[in-house]
Amino acid sequence: MNAPLAIGVIAGAVLSGTSLLYATLGETITERSGIVNLGLEGILLIGASVGFASAASSASAYLGVAAAALAGGAANLLFGWLVVSRKANQLASGLAMMFFGIGASALVGGPFVGAVITGLPKWRPSFLAGLRWVKSTTLFNYDILIWLAVPVALLVWWALFRTRWGLGVRAVGESAAAAFASGRNPAMIQYQALFAGGVLGGLAGAHLSLSLTLTWAEGMTAGRGFIAIALVIFSKWHPLRAIAGALVFGGAEALQLQLQARGADVSPFLLDMIPYVLTLLVLLAWGGARRLAAPAGLGRTFYGSE
Amino acid sequence: MEKRSGLVMGLLVLAFCVALAAPLAADAPKLIIGAIYVGSVNDYGYNRSFHDALLTVQKNIPGVKLLEAENVPESAEAERVMEGMIQQGAKLIFPTSFGHQEPAFNVAKRHPDVYFEHAGGWMMAANFGNYFGNTQAAWYPMGVAAGKMTKTNKLGFVIGVPIGFAVGNVNAFELGARSVNPAAVTTVVVTGGWSDKAKEAAAANALLDQGCDVLAMHVDSPATIVRTAEARGAMSIGFQSIEARALAPKGWITGLGFTWAPYFTEVAKSVIAGTFKPSSTHLGLGEGMVTVAPFGANVPADVRQVVTASADKIAKGFNPFTGPIVDNTGVTQIKAGESWGGDKMGDFKWYVEGVVGKVQ
Repeated sequence: MNAPLAIGVIAGAVLSGTSLLYATLGETITERSGIVNLGLEGILLIGASVGFASAASSASAYLGVAAAALAGGAANLLFGWLVVSRKANQLASGLAMMFFGIGASALVGGPFVGAVITGLPKWRPSFLAGLRWVKSTTLFNYDILIWLAVPVALLVWWALFRTRWGLGVRAVGESAAAAFASGRNPAMIQYQALFAGGVLGGLAGAHLSLSLTLTWAEGMTAGRGFIAIALVIFSKWHPLRAIAGALVFGGAEALQLQLQARGADVSPFLLDMIPYVLTLLVLLAWGGARRLAAPAGLGRTFYGSE
Repeated sequence: MEKRSGLVMGLLVLAFCVALAAPLAADAPKLIIGAIYVGSVNDYGYNRSFHDALLTVQKNIPGVKLLEAENVPESAEAERVMEGMIQQGAKLIFPTSFGHQEPAFNVAKRHPDVYFEHAGGWMMAANFGNYFGNTQAAWYPMGVAAGKMTKTNKLGFVIGVPIGFAVGNVNAFELGARSVNPAAVTTVVVTGGWSDKAKEAAAANALLDQGCDVLAMHVDSPATIVRTAEARGAMSIGFQSIEARALAPKGWITGLGFTWAPYFTEVAKSVIAGTFKPSSTHLGLGEGMVTVAPFGANVPADVRQVVTASADKIAKGFNPFTGPIVDNTGVTQIKAGESWGGDKMGDFKWYVEGVVGKVQ
């Protein structure tokens, strides 16, 4: 691995990894509150399509970002109504939400396919702009969502581990009955966690359509939502480790493309497998302790607060 | 009371039927054409080329009604969509994606009075024809354009799936580039699918990171790659639809686009006249299905001249796949005196010398 390849991989890792990081952070919050959202793929698509549609109709990419965040939050609240208030099975409801998201996003985005938008403006700090090895690359020339990715991860960590609200979320995730007995309202806390998670999921989708590809197409997330769910487990439900997870997966994806671009003498089909094989290998190597790291109440329905 | 309400109901139903029939009787279309697309017609690419052609057919033949369905998956679902169009009176159906072939063939068996023209396959029947544009030789002048315009001598080519036809496009591209610039090298990146926008953006960025300054592609929509190149100040050569040039006002060099309209008009006229004959029609540059896009604003006059001359040569029958041609591992794949013609375009399992990449 020499300098241009390494730089290319890092540059690609940041670009691909940002939407994965936001999605992983969102899912971390909801899973910490005890709810598994398998419909994350649908939330991402809703965020991407609403964001793109808003940006195309209003000519403001920032408005698109805001709309995507709200739409993601609303979609997750809908999922919350299913699993918290109606107490439906979380896994089945999540998959239903995924199909709902695929369809709803196609409906919202349909009239805007092919629209040309300006996308989120990019900004590079001036003291880096002159550096020779930075100038011709995409390094440090990022839009606001990429610049905020790590700060948001830190914010999520602080919220979950240093605030009373976060304590409540984690308590509900470990044992909703105990949290209820201590005077908390598990349903309200889960709704709040779901909204926060949905907002981050919407941002993840928005980054794809408003910055990376500047387009909308049905199903454009291509399974990223499920990768994010795997990354939540990979990072042991911890927001800061999620940064590493997103960079590893984004980096692996960038690596296989950079290797092709440098003419590696390996079949492109095998190279395409690298990100998934790498994720599996890491999960196998550090898999044991993960079962114990999950919130104890993950996936369970709390019946007690009526 | 019952008799009276029965009479009123009967009159209402009659009125309803007349209301429905009236517009139908007023202007019955000469021909109803149905078209199914695997993606969206606003993709500046493959699907748009068919859509644009059908709109031209409507202009050429007044009285043609067009039914379109986008994002039709390549599965039995496509049969349902086509059956729906036939129920609405469609007599000529264009299944435009390779994977629509079998569903369309099944529907064709059930409706011998409806005609089908499928893009990019091989199946034939009395009411089922196949067609496609020969693009491989047409990529030669594109390579010439890229070879002349590049400053780094590194060209990038993003392909979706490394099928023989796509590999052939890359080979012709590099052969053309080398004919004017012996130092030109084409690097190929495979995204794994015909339409994955995020991967296409990442692939384009990877090629640009490695120093390529001209990007070409064989994916369903050139939009993402063209826009990524434009955003990073690189040049692009488009494919599928010449409309993609609107996306890169600075970096667009030229491109290839499909022009299905003349063929479609001919087929539609034959269906109206009742003289439809199934055929396997494959036409290339200069034969009516493939055209060279207008040049971008920043392409100098001497380059335009060379590229146009090269395209004319191809249109007049020059075959770039004439031996001796060596592949990028040193093996002679086409011997001196041999040449690969139209029927071998799907057989490419190797890249020519000068292409960096591995087919499989």
